[in-house]
Amino acid sequence: MNNTIRLFLIALLTVGFLTSDAHAQDVLVRNATVLTVTNGTLQNTDILIRDGIIAQIGSGLRAPRGAEDVDATGKFVMPGIIDAHAHIALSSVNEGTSPVTAEVSMEDVTNPYSLGIYRASAGGVTVSHIMHGSANVIGGQNETIKHRWGATDPDDIRFDGAPRTIKFALGENPTRVHGRRASGGSGAIVPATRMGVEQVLRSAFENGKRYMEAWDAYNAEASTNPRAVPPVWNERLEVMADILRGEILIHCHSYRADEIVMLTRVLGDYGVDRITFQHANEAFKVAPELAEFGAHASVFSDWWSYKFEVYYSTSYNAAILMRNGVVTSINSDSAELNRHLYHEAAKSQRYGGLTDDEALSMITINPAIQLGIQDRVGSIEIGKDGDIAIFEGHPLSIYTIPVLTYVDGVKVFDRENDADDMRVDVDPSAEVGQYEGQVTGRDHMHSHEEVADLMSFFQSVADVDLPHAHTVND
Amino acid sequence: MYSFRGILRGAAFCAALVWLGGMPHEAYAQKNSPDIPVVSNVVAIENARIVQGPARVLQSGTVVFRDGVITAVGRRVDVPYDAHVIDGDSLTVYAGFIDALSHTGIPEPRNQGQPESVPDRSNPPFDRAGITPEASARTALDPDHGDLEKLRNVGFTTIMVAPRGRMLPGQATMALSAGTNSSEMILQGMQPMFFQFTGAQGVYPGTPMAIMSKFRQLYREADRRMRLEAMYAEDPSGLARPPYDAVHEAFFPVVAGDRHVLVWTDEVLEIHRAMTLQEELGFSMILTGLEGGIDTVDKVAGSGLPVALTLDLPDQPRFAAKLKADSLQHILDSYDDETRTATFRDVEAEKENLEARQLWSRSRYVGMAALYENAGIPFAFTTMGVSAGDVHGNLREMIEAGLSREAALAALTVNAAALFGASDRMGSIDTGKMANLIVTDGDVFDEDTSIKMVFVAGQMHEPSNTSLGNRSRDRAEASTSNQ
Repeated sequence: MNNTIRLFLIALLTVGFLTSDAHAQDVLVRNATVLTVTNGTLQNTDILIRDGIIAQIGSGLRAPRGAEDVDATGKFVMPGIIDAHAHIALSSVNEGTSPVTAEVSMEDVTNPYSLGIYRASAGGVTVSHIMHGSANVIGGQNETIKHRWGATDPDDIRFDGAPRTIKFALGENPTRVHGRRASGGSGAIVPATRMGVEQVLRSAFENGKRYMEAWDAYNAEASTNPRAVPPVWNERLEVMADILRGEILIHCHSYRADEIVMLTRVLGDYGVDRITFQHANEAFKVAPELAEFGAHASVFSDWWSYKFEVYYSTSYNAAILMRNGVVTSINSDSAELNRHLYHEAAKSQRYGGLTDDEALSMITINPAIQLGIQDRVGSIEIGKDGDIAIFEGHPLSIYTIPVLTYVDGVKVFDRENDADDMRVDVDPSAEVGQYEGQVTGRDHMHSHEEVADLMSFFQSVADVDLPHAHTVND
Repeated sequence: MYSFRGILRGAAFCAALVWLGGMPHEAYAQKNSPDIPVVSNVVAIENARIVQGPARVLQSGTVVFRDGVITAVGRRVDVPYDAHVIDGDSLTVYAGFIDALSHTGIPEPRNQGQPESVPDRSNPPFDRAGITPEASARTALDPDHGDLEKLRNVGFTTIMVAPRGRMLPGQATMALSAGTNSSEMILQGMQPMFFQFTGAQGVYPGTPMAIMSKFRQLYREADRRMRLEAMYAEDPSGLARPPYDAVHEAFFPVVAGDRHVLVWTDEVLEIHRAMTLQEELGFSMILTGLEGGIDTVDKVAGSGLPVALTLDLPDQPRFAAKLKADSLQHILDSYDDETRTATFRDVEAEKENLEARQLWSRSRYVGMAALYENAGIPFAFTTMGVSAGDVHGNLREMIEAGLSREAALAALTVNAAALFGASDRMGSIDTGKMANLIVTDGDVFDEDTSIKMVFVAGQMHEPSNTSLGNRSRDRAEASTSNQ
């Protein structure tokens, strides 16, 4: 039955490939300062994108007939920015009813109409990792999307071939959502503490392991015994088993150094090593340990103290991690902050004394590595996807302005042609000025909103007192 | 059965009727008595314009039906000696409309308040999670439910009735829109499993993503259990007894391909979700609702899935409710997709353009049925979530936006019958089919037309308020004047 799923996924990917080809275009960007990220800075350089793929980088390149011609004299071209932590383009974010919901997937709630896609592309972002929320210890599977603004089929914005990823969450969010309902009264379940979070993780992995073993045993027996009985089907444990098989990358919401180390130990016990710690505000304290484990980190540049467990951090977090050999990225977790990730990278550079390439790598090739898509995007190299962002002024300058963004060689943002209303879909009934709530255009704006989401969810539940922690995020 | 009650109300209210044999006026006072004997169960509508089906019109003909079944239809038809004859001069006869999905006749649950708490909300009992696919609309149908008469009065004689609930409320059933008890109403035939993306309250599955996962879980485990049961039935020796519960068992015919899944989608992302599940698991699906499914026309056409479109239309935005059609058109025409206001001082100009865009967006919703027609998709219509009084006004708007009258009629009759494998019994006025008929005084899609009679399995019903004028517009004007 696993094969059925795989075949289905392959079919999905195939369809996606065909679609992206249909969108692909030819573009010649001339005479730019090209920030390749992996191969230094090239002056007065042309980039030719053919069929959505970077075909040539050099000088005096000639545009094939019909290609779009962009004079980028005096402008800077960098790889499309990659946001490793976003909640845009989703119609729901948290299935907050269970501490483990590995089976749910953002693939099923991807919303191509979300204006957040366009707004992100206006900040040079071409790829977003759209994630399940942090209500559950093991949340849902995430989805990596390309910002193909204008597409209306969810399948048309998927990053074809991107590895599967899953959201984990440690600390206060899952303990508040599950362990502290009704002030510990009816309905409170494990985890109420960080100890409980570890226990939930270990139970889930143990169950996944047994499930995998049960199917292995069945498959072995079925080859000789036609009356072998297959184990009870379990969508949740199917995914846990796939994590154990190394087929799914973990992206874990985390803050404290102790819980970060805890998770590396749990994963070590189960032989899982592909992990990116998200937020990870105290990761700098355990940077050598993370480097040794091979874990990655995706952090904010200078944002903390929005709740107790993230009371302590530093603007040097990203630089310390990077200098210790941890693959580090800067993410947004926000439909506002994702529009100036280049500025966030610049802040980490300013604090930590990083080079330009190091700073830019944190919003390009490093998040690509964390998402397993570094062979396709994250730098300007021949053969990579034609995802580029063009700036007036160096993107790490406070004065920079994003002016053009291309995905697969298709222009998705042009500052010169940025009309008031760039929506693909418009609610026919809502009051003008109240579009955020419409079903197809709904964005998950911010982690504040994520909490608000949960609040309204719990308000709909009869027997529960509202958690009080929402004030800490305000 | 042909009731006195119907006959007498017909005689009293419809001057066009001439009853052979005459009716004693004193019987009128006894119209509520169930003991009055039936005079005859044969009816002939003579010299009427008969729309046998889409683009199949007899300008003047006669239709005869006996015991609820059409026995003859044509230009020259022998009228049986015992028939009640209705003079159809100036009347038009249509096949009764078929509603491809609604809850009409299913009472609202009495306790709409807070759901009961459960010890573990991550693993609630099936019924608390809204998962009762073993239930059936057949046992919940209330023949006295007021909505039945409302829907009948606007021309619907048959309804695919689905139980109310959340994710998997149970099996739907075809039912007539009239009957003295539910047994009289329930029709043989397809009983699809009703499925919608409505999460449970406060327990798993709460969101659409969990509903997707839960559906896969139920389906794949049912698949496993079905195989186990087959193995056990063949030879139980040495095997543990296969697990049983009513929910998984209700999935067996779906997995085996013997039962359709009737899925309700009320926004475009739900259309994609439903199609994803169908493609992934391979069950037989009927796709209904599709509100806002403007961008999915090609995908739906390519899938070949049977489709029933919503008869609902989005409300006009508040600013537009008071405006007349020509001013609305004027605003709509003023929309400029390149408008780029320079400063915050231009916010009024921006707002006006956004409002124009909104009208443009609504016009797309209104024109959606026409798009599906042009794509060659033989869709039916569903009244789910639509008040009966809005049905004809909405149909007229869709027709004005390009939907052909033939396609509208087909959606309401032959296409819906085909959707449920009932073309041999209903959907057109042909010999041998059920006598589900509408009698009007004009084209059923014209605003000044009235429905004079509705025959459900040969029984006459007369709408009390027969006008098909735009009730929602009347309502909107009334509410405006109240302000």
